[in-house]
Amino acid sequence: MRYPFSVGRSDFIQGDEAIARAAILAGCRFYAGYPITPASEIFEAMALYMPLVDGVSIQMEDELGSIAAVIGASWTGAKAMTATSGPGFSLMMENLGYAVMTETPMVVVDVQRGGPSTGQPTLAAQGDVMQAIWGTHGDHSIIVLTPATVQEAFDMTIRAFNLAEKYRTPVVLLTDGEVGHMRERVNIPDPDEIERIYRKIPKSKEQGKYPFRDWDGDGVPPMPVFGRGYRAYITGLTHDERGKPKTVEAEIHESLIRRIVDKIEKNKKDIIDYETFDLDDADVAIVSYGIASRSAIRAVKILRKEGIKAGLLKLNVVWPFDFEMIERIAERVNRIYVAEMNLGQVYHLVKEGANGKAEVELIPKIGGEVHTPKDIIERVR
Amino acid sequence: MTQIRIAGFGGQGVILAGVILGEAAAIEGLNVLQTQDYGSQSRGGHSVADVIISREPLYDVMVTKADVLMAMSQIGYNGAIDSLREGGTLIIDTDLVKSDREFIGAPFTRLAEEKVGLALTVNMVALGYLVAKTGIVKKESVEEAIRRRVPRGTEEINLKAFRIGYEEGAK
Amino acid sequence: MYLESSYKIRDKYLRTDMLPTMFCPGCGIGSVLQFTLRSIEELGWKQDEVVWVSGIGCSSRVPGYVNFDGLHTTHGRALAFATGIKMANPDLKVVVFAGDGDMSAIGGNHFIHAIRRNLDVTVILINNFTYGMTGGQVAPTALKGLKGTTAPYGNFENPFDISQLAVAAGANYVARWSVFNYVQGMNSIKKALQKKGFSLVEFLSPCPVSFGRRNRMKTAPELIRWYQKITVPISKAKKMSPEELEGKVIIGEFVDRDRPSLDEEYERYKERAKKLMGWEE
Repeated sequence: MRYPFSVGRSDFIQGDEAIARAAILAGCRFYAGYPITPASEIFEAMALYMPLVDGVSIQMEDELGSIAAVIGASWTGAKAMTATSGPGFSLMMENLGYAVMTETPMVVVDVQRGGPSTGQPTLAAQGDVMQAIWGTHGDHSIIVLTPATVQEAFDMTIRAFNLAEKYRTPVVLLTDGEVGHMRERVNIPDPDEIERIYRKIPKSKEQGKYPFRDWDGDGVPPMPVFGRGYRAYITGLTHDERGKPKTVEAEIHESLIRRIVDKIEKNKKDIIDYETFDLDDADVAIVSYGIASRSAIRAVKILRKEGIKAGLLKLNVVWPFDFEMIERIAERVNRIYVAEMNLGQVYHLVKEGANGKAEVELIPKIGGEVHTPKDIIERVR
Repeated sequence: MTQIRIAGFGGQGVILAGVILGEAAAIEGLNVLQTQDYGSQSRGGHSVADVIISREPLYDVMVTKADVLMAMSQIGYNGAIDSLREGGTLIIDTDLVKSDREFIGAPFTRLAEEKVGLALTVNMVALGYLVAKTGIVKKESVEEAIRRRVPRGTEEINLKAFRIGYEEGAK
Repeated sequence: MYLESSYKIRDKYLRTDMLPTMFCPGCGIGSVLQFTLRSIEELGWKQDEVVWVSGIGCSSRVPGYVNFDGLHTTHGRALAFATGIKMANPDLKVVVFAGDGDMSAIGGNHFIHAIRRNLDVTVILINNFTYGMTGGQVAPTALKGLKGTTAPYGNFENPFDISQLAVAAGANYVARWSVFNYVQGMNSIKKALQKKGFSLVEFLSPCPVSFGRRNRMKTAPELIRWYQKITVPISKAKKMSPEELEGKVIIGEFVDRDRPSLDEEYERYKERAKKLMGWEE
């Protein structure tokens, strides 16, 4: 396999570019998008690369269409992705729910910018966390990854595809304009060394006829591929295991939705990823994620030098959420600070997790600039 | 860790200079981050490229106190001078920037016009000067970065401009 | 025209375990579905190479009843989903079954852009001038003066002519008939299915329960008689003045051409990209 960029060595590239290259290395061969700052560079890279690797890159009429095309492509067996920012992400909520309900693997990248509405197109924010988790209507669960560096943007894109395929679910890669536009040195591995997961497909016509039956007991039904004789029927209406619409039977709705939620919530251990810095003996914990966590790491190092026993929990996945882990941390520390580029989103999750065992305080930042280490130090000190 | 800020106006190639400096550091295996800030205008507004280079893991995402500030225009200088740390190195285009702080520099734009023969290469002239004065990365790494990053067919003139700036800085 | 027995069509193409349909007595969707299945039968298409896609509405429930791969999507978005299916696997034949509200209101933008791109799909469009499933609200196709629950005193807006819209946007094949014109309708569907690029066959289709009742036409025969009154064949319409055509619906074949389809263009685009980048094998 020939790639239109160098592999097996490091490169100096933007976060958006890293996401595009990682997607192609993960096996993504369908991209549909609509121009939007600060995500357009992902699309432009895909437009450059996809025709060369016999993939498709297509500009749709809007973001409603982009995500719809991606879902359609996924049902032909393709790994597919779209990328956008807040205003487009809002438009995608409808079909994100369709992807959840029909259990369609796909990756949606949201390169966050200041909002609400058109907001601050060129500046970074972390204001879409709750939207990524809960933005589409109805009960559901979803997976949301939050890279803090260009290397993480690369690595987490590959992971996003693997999680999407493994759990037959949409995955949101929630990054921001800062990570999207910054350039860093990124290690692009040898393609043969990349772990790639592919969705389970039905082992028989009979399995294909029931695309929503938990054949393997892991909550993840094998997914038919259109055009291979399964004659699957897929609908966003509440459906039985056959895919037949059953819109008034409470028990069918309950068993479908509980399975869709459980396949993610019961696999938290596999999905959740985090890193800690100086947290083991800390008196004060900082919880942060994405771009804000970089300043938090620096802040912890400076606070330690000053003799303050601070530690950091850096979340790489903000949903599913490990409430129990937060409670265990809350039992050990006096206080937890949540540093995020919004007016309090993950803060509420942490507060729920802390369960009153420690005070939880927010270190917010809005306006477009990332927290400085000083912003955090002054609150903690 | 070294924080470098390059400030000028849109169209001077400030960001490309920052990208090439960053690429050179990456070629040397250093940890490096490059960001940019520009007005909504493509031409004529302020334009800033930040480069942070470090042997340690790099967490910082912005230039907080620049060790090196290179101002290629007055508008860039005015917006960035407060970010230069005390005792930091100030490099200016001596024809275009007036400063009341201690500085080094050369008439980069004039050198690009007269010695290179193309005013557009001012960014490479200035970058050559910066690299010679600071030694932050090796000359050869920058030359490799230029070959990778400039539009095909313009490698030689950009390399020439970089070397002219470098010689000026090495004087 | 030789017609296969209805039993054969039913047994071959319908999912018996998904029946009965949700369609009301007098509904025209079943007729149009039959025309479509008979056309597929006559063309000898294999069921496993065809994907049916739909949005939301009564007609959009059709993919559930037919024994093909089917994607029943969100309101108005069927053609955007179909774009992904067709472009990711151009070997698949894609049939989009849609209603007038789905295609011309909420899905209007996807509709014109799918046509502009000349996406290789066939849209079978049920035009009943109303939102049948939600109880008879006026649709953007409703002629002036027709009643619906959201225009109880008679529609005061101008209607969309979906077929003309498709012609203007660049479709390769467009025809409109009423369900009463079943021979012409089936011939048009066969042409449309075989056509590369975007094809549309629109049917005026009775909805006595949600639409007819509110417009003094309580049964399908009354609606069909009304269609006979308001439709004008395209050959005759050419000789009529705009005043004479006021309140009429033109039926017939509006366009039949062969512009390259999106997937054909994309194949060439890939070749161009490889050539420009020096990637030829």
